[in-house]
Parts: sequence; structure tokens; C-alpha cells
Amino acid sequence: MTRQEFRSALKPITDGLFGKQNTRGYERPKFTVRPLEEMLKDLADIPVEEWYGYAFSREPLNGKFTDEQRRDWMRKSLDCGREYAQKVRKEYGTSDPVKLADSLSMSVSYPEVPDKTDRVLFAEYRIPNKICIYMDAVNKANKLLLEPQVLEILTEELDVCRLLLSHELFHFVEETYRQEIFTQTEKVRLWSLGFLHNDSIVIALSEIAAMGFAKELMGLSYSPYLMDVFLVYGYSPQEASGLYEEMMELSGRKNHNYKLI
Amino acid sequence: MEYIIGIILLISFFGLAYYCIKGHNLMVGFLLITLLWTIIPLGGTLFVSQGFLESNPVLNFGKDNTLIAALNKIYQSAPEGWGTTLVNVCWGAWFGRVLMDTGIASTLIRKTVELGGDKPFVTVALLNTVTALIFTAMTGAGPVIAIGVIVLPILMSLGIPKSIALFTFMGSVAAGIYLNPVNFAQYRAFFVAPDQLADFNLGWYASHWGYAALIIMLISTTLLSAFYLKRAKTVHAWAAQTRGAASEQKNAPFYTLILPVVPVILKIWLDFSVIGGFVIAGFLALFLCGRMKGNFKENCQLVNKLYYDGVVDTAPLVGFLLTLPMFNAVAALASPYFKVILGNVMPRSEIVVCIVFAVLLCMGLFRGPMTLVGCGAATLGVLSNVASFSVPFLYAVFVIPTITVNIGCCITQSWVAWGLAYTKVESKDFLKLSIPNAYLTGILQYVAVFIMLGGLGATWFLK
Repeated sequence: MTRQEFRSALKPITDGLFGKQNTRGYERPKFTVRPLEEMLKDLADIPVEEWYGYAFSREPLNGKFTDEQRRDWMRKSLDCGREYAQKVRKEYGTSDPVKLADSLSMSVSYPEVPDKTDRVLFAEYRIPNKICIYMDAVNKANKLLLEPQVLEILTEELDVCRLLLSHELFHFVEETYRQEIFTQTEKVRLWSLGFLHNDSIVIALSEIAAMGFAKELMGLSYSPYLMDVFLVYGYSPQEASGLYEEMMELSGRKNHNYKLI
Repeated sequence: MEYIIGIILLISFFGLAYYCIKGHNLMVGFLLITLLWTIIPLGGTLFVSQGFLESNPVLNFGKDNTLIAALNKIYQSAPEGWGTTLVNVCWGAWFGRVLMDTGIASTLIRKTVELGGDKPFVTVALLNTVTALIFTAMTGAGPVIAIGVIVLPILMSLGIPKSIALFTFMGSVAAGIYLNPVNFAQYRAFFVAPDQLADFNLGWYASHWGYAALIIMLISTTLLSAFYLKRAKTVHAWAAQTRGAASEQKNAPFYTLILPVVPVILKIWLDFSVIGGFVIAGFLALFLCGRMKGNFKENCQLVNKLYYDGVVDTAPLVGFLLTLPMFNAVAALASPYFKVILGNVMPRSEIVVCIVFAVLLCMGLFRGPMTLVGCGAATLGVLSNVASFSVPFLYAVFVIPTITVNIGCCITQSWVAWGLAYTKVESKDFLKLSIPNAYLTGILQYVAVFIMLGGLGATWFLK
């Protein structure tokens, strides 16, 4: 018996006796897996401004707003993102986010951090000039893009890495123009008590504008919010299907009854 | 010969500490050490001096103290005695599930954020306070994770770096646990049997030290978070929050938001039954939030499902906690040998104990020899048998490394481990923030222990 075989024979016993303490998570909801291309097709058909339900669903102050406010802010934030994309493009003479990042003296890194949990991280911007694009998600998405049907829906314009970079670049632009930009000057009054009051910005506006900025720079015809499903699909088709269902519901559409996988 | 046996027992103690630190299975570890500490001290009686035996009646077996009776006490009576505590754990877990299912816990969090808005420090301070309040009643990994998936994305969306978000959330959970009646009953069982020292109840404990411990941890965690935030850079992240409990934003009625603290208030103010409090507040929550609108059968199924989920939440801990009483009982057999070795070394004054424990707080990390949910149970067995301290004092001395250090600051705590994976924070980045908090909070709490629980009268001593 070799040493390896001996170890293998003992493993069940040692695992039982000395098994590491298990971390018990909570049970995730189960979703039926749907075909990727069908989900993307549905999501790409949603007009950009109708994504407000999903865009605000992750907003901490969402409970305070009416649908009317959300719709109005969605439109204004998208305009804001588009406007600043045009401004930056004009100023630096390029739409390429990599060149723009270079011109803006950004420090961009591309770590390969694997994601496994129910919060899949795509990219981060850290003030003042650091951007991190998590390549594990990007690489998985690029493999999915090799499917002709997927590419047809998402179009040749899509470069996942550049799209993520564009989104994060907006946050830098936002910091630069924070005294005047819509996403930072638009505020809501949370409470007031005599002369005391608390006014707050709405974080979702910043994210919506970043999507509008990225969409304009990349020349996409659909909302970059769709990437949430596309990038999560590489990790878990089931979780991506759950997100798709949520997006469809929040944009007032019924889920199509495709032949489920 | 008793010296040699004492040294062997001491080596086995350090062996257990190593085993716990390596993260191995605690239940099996304590079962093995119980077996070892039964065999060695009993076998040792064949070789030790007559004088040693005569001075330690616990090791003299005869008509009044049979060997079988001693073994029965360790392996039967001791875990059976812990059963009363286990019942509290199960009902507490059910109540936690009710608060999650009715949306009361998530509504509390969201309403709190709506007060703070985009100001990170204000929101952190408010969220920490509410989180601590919630966890005075909720217990177990399930509820922590369920609240974590709401709180952590909110904190991160405010631009708070993920490591600080995780640190501040876990610290405030631990702060709330200082007043949690279920945790109190669990840890109390390490020191006295449920029917002993009836005056040492949650109300007495809270007013004499518990409130102070909670407030110290809450303020330290919040102030440290503010300090860390001041030095940190704001972060914006694009992340997909997959569909789960967090994305369903159903609001519980405003008047139900008081229910999470009802069992604790009833217990502390009126010394009302903890389980009674859970049942009253739990069913009120279910009815007032409209979760009992089905027919009788459906309602029964809902209550049953919540109970099942709650018990499953606590299941990994139950096995470990049911072997601990065996270990606590067997420590009495080993104590005469420890007295021979450590009798002159172990601290006997309260101020020295506080100082030594404050210095050694880091040994509450990684299930080390200071935490009760790790190897600390063995340290308690040794300390309580070689020196004499009041039960409330000893309780507080051990509960600081257990709650502040292990539960609030250590990566071996199940929900901290989950949080690291969820936020993708490196262990070392979390520990860099949490260890200073362990010391800052721990030292202040030991000062409070010495002032508030030092020099208690003879009625608070067990022997």
C-alpha cells in the first residue's frame, strides 16, 4: 500500500473526526434555469428607461420614492451619463475607455479573483484614481460570447472588460464634477425637525448615470444592466435566471415560458 | 506521581487548544478530551500517594461515592441538565426566523437607513445600534446572514470599503449578543446548573454589567469604524446582487418594529419567561404582519416550517454544546491534579485575573484557550477548580473573549467566515480592523467587570 493510498483510506475517518467546522449559510431560493440567449433577447428588448424598477431595487432609500420620481430620475440620470460621455469623448478625442483611463491618469488593475457567492463583484472604483476590473467574471463572460446566438444579441460592440471600465470611469468623472453634476446635486429631504434636517443624495442615480455613460461610450443599443444576468450566468445559470425573472417583473413584463433547461 | 499525571493533563489541555485553533470539529474534540480526562485521573488514583487521595474526596470511591455514579454524573446528568438551556435556544431560533419571515428585521434596517441617508458615519452609527438591538433577540448563523445580506450591500453602496462594512456589522451583532437571553442561558450553563444561583438571572446580569458591556462594544465598534472611515477612500462597486431575501422589499407595519426587543424587555423588567416572551412576540409578529391569513392547516405549516428552519440554524452548535457539560463535569475529576501543578500559579485576585485576561484577549481568537466556544471551556474548568471567584465575575471574565473576541472579531466564527466570502474581504484585512477592536472593547469591558462585579459577597459564590 502506497502512502497516498494509505492516506486515502484514512481520509473518511479523519474527515469525520477532524473535519473542519462547517459554515452554515442560509438556503438560497431555487430558480429554474433558462436558456441564456432567450433571457438576453428579452432583456435587450427592454427600453433603457424602463429599467428604473430594477435600478432602484438596490437603492437603500427606495422605500421613500414614488414610481413617478423613479421614472423621472431614471431619465435625468441617463441623460446625465450620456452628456458626460460626450463631454469626455470631445475633450480627449476618444471613446476607448482604456485610452480614456490612461489620459485621466487612472490606475487600472485586472485581478483574477474567483467569485462564488450570491454577490458577484464585477468592478470597483476607489477614490481618487484606482479601478479594479475582476477578470474572473469577464473571462467567463467572454467564453459565453463565443456562442454565435449570444454574440448576435449582444452585438460586436460589446467588450465586457471595456464596458466595466467605462462604468467605473464615470464615477471618477462624477468625483471630478461633484459640485455641478446632477447625480451629486440632486438631493432628497429624509427628515426635518425645526431647523434641523437631513438631505441625502440618491445613490442609484450615480449607478444609472454610470450605465448611461458606459452605454454611450460603447455604442450599445441595450441597457448595460443586462450585464448583471450575463456575467452572473458564468457562475450560476440558476442565479442568473432568478435575476432575469426579477428584471422582467420589475420592468412590468411577464416571464416568457420558454422550454426550461 | 500526581505531578506527572498533572503534567500529562496539562499537555492534553494544550493539545486540545491546538486542535481547536486548527479549526477541527469541536464536538468530537471535547468528547475525546472528556474521555481522556476520565481515564487519566481515575487511572491515576492507582498510583498517587495516599495523602493526595485523602485530601481529595472527589477521587475517593466507595459506598457513598461510587465510580458508576461519578461516571453517570459526567455522561448522563451533565448533558441532561443542559437540556433546559437547549429549549431556550430552539425557541430563540424560531423567533429569529419569525422576524425574518415577517419582514420586521429588514424593515427596521431599511427605515434606519432612511434616517441616515448618504452620510456613511451617521448611517453606520444608526445601523450598528439597530443591528445590536435586533440581535438581543435573534440568534444563530441564519439570522445573521439574513440581516447581513441586507445591511452589507447598503453599507457598500454608500461607498464604505467592504472590510469596514463587514467589521462594523459583525461588531454590532456581537454587541447585541451581550443581552441575548438565549446566549446568556447558554453561557450561564458553563458556570452553574440552571436551578442553581437563581438570583443570577438576565435582569440582574443586565443591570449589573450586561448593559455596560453592550454599550462599550457598540460605541467602540462605531468609533473605530468612524476612525477607519476617515482614513479610507470611498469605493464604488458594480456588483450583481442576486435575487434573494434582500431584494424583496416588503414593509412590516410600523407598530411591529418594537417586537424584536419585547422578549428581552419582558425578561429584564419582569423576569418573565424567555420562551413565553418569544411565543408572545413571535405570534404577535405573525398575526400583525398578516402571515397567518391562511386556513388553520396552512398556518400550522408555517409555524412548523419556521421552527424547523430555526432549529436547523442552530444545529451545528447544539452537538458541541451538549458535549460541553460532560467536559465541565469531568474537569472536577482532573482538578486535584491541576491544583498540584497550577495551584500556586493561577491568579487568585480579581484585579490580576482582569489584567491577565485583558492581556491575553488575543487567545480568544481561533477558538483558543480563552473562548467558551472553543478551548476556553477547559481553561474555565481549570481556573474555577483551582481558585475561587464569584459566578457573575467569572461569567463576565470568560464571556468577553467569547463574545467580543470570538464572535465579534474572529474569522472562525461561522457568520464571519460567511461574511468574508460574501464581501470578498481577505481574512487579514478583516483581522487588521477587528483585533484593535477586540483589545479596545475588551480592556474597557474588563475595567467595567472589575468595577461593577468585583468583590461580590459570599452569596454569589458556588462553593
